[in-house]
Amino acid sequence: MPAANPAPHYVIIGNSIAGIEAAIAIRNRDRDARITVISGEHPHPYARVSLMYIFCGQLSLKDTQFYPEDLYDRMRFERIFERVTGVDVAGRRLALEGGRTVEYDKLLLAVGSVGRRLPWPGAYEADPAFLHHFVTLGDLRRLDAAAKPGMSVAVIGGGLIGVEAAEVLHLRGLKTHFLIREPFYFPVALDAAEANVVAEHIRHHGVDARTNAPVNGFRREGAKVVLEGPDLTVDLVVGAIGVEPATAFLRGSGVALNDQTGGVEVGDNLESTSAPGIFAAGDCAQVTWIDGSRRPEQLWYTARDQGRTAALAMLGDDVKYRRGTWYNSAKFFDVEYTTAGFIPYAAPKAGRAPAPTRAEDGWQTWYQRVPGSAVTQRIVVKDGSVKGFNALGTRWDHNVWMRWIHERRPLAWVLAHMNDARFDEEFIAPFAVLPSATLVNGA
Amino acid sequence: MQAGLLSTYQHPVRNRNGLAWALSALLMAFYLLLYFGKENYDAKDALTRYAHDPLNLLIVKLGWPTGDNGSLWVFNKWYLYAALYTLGMAIGGYFMLKKHGNSRYHRLRTYSLVSVQAILGFMLPIALDFAHRPAWYFSYFFPLKYDLFFPYNLDHMQATVAAWFIFGSFVGIPTLVYFKGKRAYCSWICGCGGLAETFGDPWRHLSSKSDRSWRIEQFSVYTVMFLAFAMLGMVLADGLSAPDSPIHGWANHYKEWYSLAIGAVFSGVLGTGLYPLMGTRVWCRFGCPMAAMLGLIQKFGRFRITAKKDMCISCGNCSTYCEMGIDVRAYAMAGKDIKRSSCVGCGMCAHVCPRGVLKLETSKDVGPHGEIQVWTLDL
Repeated sequence: MPAANPAPHYVIIGNSIAGIEAAIAIRNRDRDARITVISGEHPHPYARVSLMYIFCGQLSLKDTQFYPEDLYDRMRFERIFERVTGVDVAGRRLALEGGRTVEYDKLLLAVGSVGRRLPWPGAYEADPAFLHHFVTLGDLRRLDAAAKPGMSVAVIGGGLIGVEAAEVLHLRGLKTHFLIREPFYFPVALDAAEANVVAEHIRHHGVDARTNAPVNGFRREGAKVVLEGPDLTVDLVVGAIGVEPATAFLRGSGVALNDQTGGVEVGDNLESTSAPGIFAAGDCAQVTWIDGSRRPEQLWYTARDQGRTAALAMLGDDVKYRRGTWYNSAKFFDVEYTTAGFIPYAAPKAGRAPAPTRAEDGWQTWYQRVPGSAVTQRIVVKDGSVKGFNALGTRWDHNVWMRWIHERRPLAWVLAHMNDARFDEEFIAPFAVLPSATLVNGA
Repeated sequence: MQAGLLSTYQHPVRNRNGLAWALSALLMAFYLLLYFGKENYDAKDALTRYAHDPLNLLIVKLGWPTGDNGSLWVFNKWYLYAALYTLGMAIGGYFMLKKHGNSRYHRLRTYSLVSVQAILGFMLPIALDFAHRPAWYFSYFFPLKYDLFFPYNLDHMQATVAAWFIFGSFVGIPTLVYFKGKRAYCSWICGCGGLAETFGDPWRHLSSKSDRSWRIEQFSVYTVMFLAFAMLGMVLADGLSAPDSPIHGWANHYKEWYSLAIGAVFSGVLGTGLYPLMGTRVWCRFGCPMAAMLGLIQKFGRFRITAKKDMCISCGNCSTYCEMGIDVRAYAMAGKDIKRSSCVGCGMCAHVCPRGVLKLETSKDVGPHGEIQVWTLDL
């Protein structure tokens, strides 16, 4: 009997949202394909964003597994629970930590991120016990074992991982210092007024949040460490200055990486620009943003979309990954944050175009804060129609906002209809324009 | 995070450990004493009369005065139970609000539940009893209160009271549920739901979210609903049939069996006793015929939980803290609205969601939230 054409072997490195969504999308289209999912972190997909909840005992690791544990059996995925150490692009095979090799026909890199290392000379050489990150399950276990009530900790970096780490360390009973290099918190998304509302809230909880507090280096002093700059002596340091693609194992393999970010260079269909048959999705992919810039997109929802798009590309479809309008949400201690559309960033970052938001180009900003609360709304306007929304302390449906932006609704119309986009629990006061609301030129 | 949920998984009695099993055994033992102690109505003196009823005996031994015929009159074990029940709800409600009182929805519904229990479930019946009037619990309806239309109740029920219960059971509560969801009864009024939401709140994360438990739930809850309506049919047949009909005997056996198996064992001993092991709504989820009936109405009614499209981060808080074992996250990840007959609308999923993805809604129109589209931005 002649041998049938063997089913193609799809290999996916990484079982978080991008990888597992890709695997499911491939299975939904191809019942016979051989699909192997490799991860060295955890045997089941789990929600990395819940590390803070696991740390403080609000969830168990099992609670964060977002698909049933029999997913691999039902979907007939082969599981390899081991780290990949290298890719042989020409030979289409992977080397595993234990020495085995795995051959593939199509490969998806969905390897995610690691916490960005603190740029201190020699900081990581002796694997110091005081230095932590808060991105992977390994980070969590290490920090969980080290952080004891009564200790002092410095969280370095004014972003989303930093605020989550500061919150849960504070709740565990550590004296928590939250050190933000910039003049105010989270300047990529908030302006000074909003950031002050958040900082006030964080300080109200008892965390020592400091702005304009760059840390230049460290000095050991017995079991403690002294941070140079703020001149602060602490037991532990959590580096939360961002994440970077976990692509170190690909260096020199022939899979092109971006020099600046370390992201896998991909085309519109998420296929590697240098190694055909290899695709990338999620945090590790250098994708094109709506403003034309190219950088990794470190978001849960877009990792899911990229995984699904990459799966179709691997199956041979002619697809393009399109991000669409920006939206996001976060939570700073108890204060929820929702954004959609274009909000100019207060602090320019490498790789991003400067914000063209001058008053003479027709830009305006509408803003109000409900007095005495952490409730704010900001609407960015150009030539009379709304372009972006930022809200703290109340819940909003970003889809409705995005539709208004798309429909080029004027500010007055939007303010009159804001309650249509509310997404709060019942019995909460409706949105109202306050006498203190301001409309200023420029954004 | 929700500060009150800190260390849920490190807590000594919230994780099915030895203490949780011991507490479960204690609760079951209490319900066994409550339901299975029998008063001997022929006995002359109090101690003999309550010899087989440990809780009443305890009341007598503690020095509570007995009447001439050895009766405890108003203060019998059922009022002891009601007092403990109300106290448990008040204390549980206090701790529940310490955790979740930052939500106005939770504050209002907790006040409502505790007030309904304190007034309609405790003070009013005891006052009626003192006044030598029949003591009714006006917040319980058929089929949850399965013996509402038994002859021993109907015989001394005034017409206005009967009208209240008939209207409430078959028109009032169902209509409310059609417009506002099952939560209007289960999470705002009901005493069983009230105990679960307050005293039982510490164990809400223990309810199983597996497909298997969902299948068992559907089988068991609709079976009990069928049994409850079958009993109503028998009671009616019993009332309408000739005096020598064998139906009387069957109806009596059936009523006794249902009272024992469902009324005492399922809703009491297991329903509350299993809180520390299987989550808070064991009875509501697997057994309550009223929940089953109202769930069917909810399915056709206006209540739903809307999931904001594309904002879920799969964290797991909603599913974990759903006391009815609904895998809320699966819906939120798919951006699908949740319309499940079992949902009691407690609102915890929306409350603990760190991204504001879920919203309890009853508006008639679908609203502006119902579309998915990838928008592009031109500046």
